[in-house]
Amino acid sequence: MEKKESSRQICGKDRIIALEGTDLDVPESKASEILKYVSQTSRMDGSSRSPATFDGAQTAWAMLSEENFLPCITTSCLDLDNILGGGMRCREVTEIGGVPGIGKTQIGIQLAVNVQIPIEYGGLGGQAIYIDTEGSFMVERVLQIAEACIEDLSEYAHLHKDAQDCKVKMHPNNILQNIFYFRVCSYTEQIALVNYLDKFVTEHKSVKIIILDSVTFHFRQEFDDMARRTRLLSEMALKFMRLSKKFGLAVVMLNQVTTKFIDGSFQLTLALGDSWSHMCTNRIILYWNNNERYAFIDKSPSLKSASASYSVTSRGIRNSSSSSKRIKMM
Amino acid sequence: MTPESLLQLRTEKCTIGCPVLDRFLAGGIPCNSLTELVAESGTGKTQFCLQLVLSAQLPPSRGGLSASSLYIHTEFPFPFRRLRQLSTAFLSSRSDIFTSSNSYDPCDNVFVHGVYSADEMLDIMPKIELFIQVNSKSQFPVKLIVIDSIAALFRSEFENTGFDLKRRSSLFFKISGNLKSMAKRFGLAVVLTNQVVDLIGGITEGLNGIKVGNLSSLNSSGRRVCAALGIGWANCVNSRLFMSRNEDMIGGGRSGMVGDEEGGVYQQSKTRRRLSVVFAPHLPESSCEFVITREGIFGLET
Repeated sequence: MEKKESSRQICGKDRIIALEGTDLDVPESKASEILKYVSQTSRMDGSSRSPATFDGAQTAWAMLSEENFLPCITTSCLDLDNILGGGMRCREVTEIGGVPGIGKTQIGIQLAVNVQIPIEYGGLGGQAIYIDTEGSFMVERVLQIAEACIEDLSEYAHLHKDAQDCKVKMHPNNILQNIFYFRVCSYTEQIALVNYLDKFVTEHKSVKIIILDSVTFHFRQEFDDMARRTRLLSEMALKFMRLSKKFGLAVVMLNQVTTKFIDGSFQLTLALGDSWSHMCTNRIILYWNNNERYAFIDKSPSLKSASASYSVTSRGIRNSSSSSKRIKMM
Repeated sequence: MTPESLLQLRTEKCTIGCPVLDRFLAGGIPCNSLTELVAESGTGKTQFCLQLVLSAQLPPSRGGLSASSLYIHTEFPFPFRRLRQLSTAFLSSRSDIFTSSNSYDPCDNVFVHGVYSADEMLDIMPKIELFIQVNSKSQFPVKLIVIDSIAALFRSEFENTGFDLKRRSSLFFKISGNLKSMAKRFGLAVVLTNQVVDLIGGITEGLNGIKVGNLSSLNSSGRRVCAALGIGWANCVNSRLFMSRNEDMIGGGRSGMVGDEEGGVYQQSKTRRRLSVVFAPHLPESSCEFVITREGIFGLET
């Protein structure tokens, strides 16, 4: 108890640093001296905006309180939002995979539109970067989804007062303008773009989501040297991770599926292999169940694994139409 | 690296030459994109493609691209006679556009090339790119590539072993990657045809338990089928359309013919053809019936 008290004093009232947990054989007086010195030098660098003792280091407490205020980008499907804890988290890298035609690109486009929902409506009022490696991004579809989104918002606005000024802001063309669209045609272009993103986002601070559709396509073409592919992919994933932390934005990577020969039968898995499956914070798998689309949280440090149905409509991603029916049946 | 402005980025479409089908496909076959046409043989894939290479020559005011096209065929022989027949019909039905230039022959704007293997397909990619680039300044630049069919390249040569399947899927992605980057660079519409395989197994499950796209199942000629080349290839195309044919028995049972003393039972069958969207980034799940006539392929109003 005493030790804890003293470490509190070193680091200030609201922070706890567990000195007693370390294996270093350093007397406490020395340790406090070292800490003081380190925090002073980092302050001299002028880079100690973070309240932590070490530059960049944060206490779990501070991180938790920060995480509670993390904004979410809605998917426009309530069931999906529910299992995701509100939508796509900012500061996190999420991978979404599924068979062709399941709606990966549709979710991508929906998120690129939804990130722009004004703050007055509970959105982020941000901008989006859409990196298209496959050529499935269709402007006419974005327009459809954007128009439906604006319609929904103006319906919502009837219940609230500060509607008019938002309506002006949300014009379909504005939504198009707030999506930075990059079409990349090779894996070298893809890597170069990822390297450039840091600079781009620095200049466009309101970017709150990066969608990569898909991470996979170019990496399934050229590579005979699989070790090299893994290195390049993990480097890219790390850069996305850094971007998401540094600018507090959500990164969504879409992935394809492939068949894998396991125990004498072919099974469906996400592409890019086992090492890749460690790269993303969250992993969501989209699949068909009878004639309904489902999303399943395959991996997440904070969400419990759950699945929810959704549907792709002309207006975008929405709740599955039959989910209400099913409840009625019971 | 600068982002493209979405306000200027409008997807051009190439008309199919039939207003019903155009409406069904929201304007036609999109440029900068790979569209796959899946059907069993004799359903109308080649008919669709032949008509497309003609209608691509229409001016943009008529929904076309004012473009010539490159037709890569892997199934032999190329149906020259049918193309000639269609082009005559094409000219006569659009006499308002083509009267001024009597010497105009639509077949002049269709470049045909035969390819025998998947490796050869990959080898000629740089040549195709060069060809399109050289042609881009002409009156009818190449804006449409048809590959009829992609399946024929892959269905004979490869064994069902791990090594061959890996090599096959790497070729898929290379060919598709090349086509997509060309499509982007020159604003091409790319159409590929694919064959079907019979589906054996569960009721709701697709091949190996994989369901691809909207349709609960693809039925053609009373059989459950799915697109050939598996899930790997399905990842390589942007849109997949499916054509089905089913024989409808009309007047089955007793014939109603007067004076038919024998009361002979005869069945007259009519082929009903249907075009459906399996998946596409810009199209909802829907389908449309069509017929093939001497003049070409036409959608039916429902």
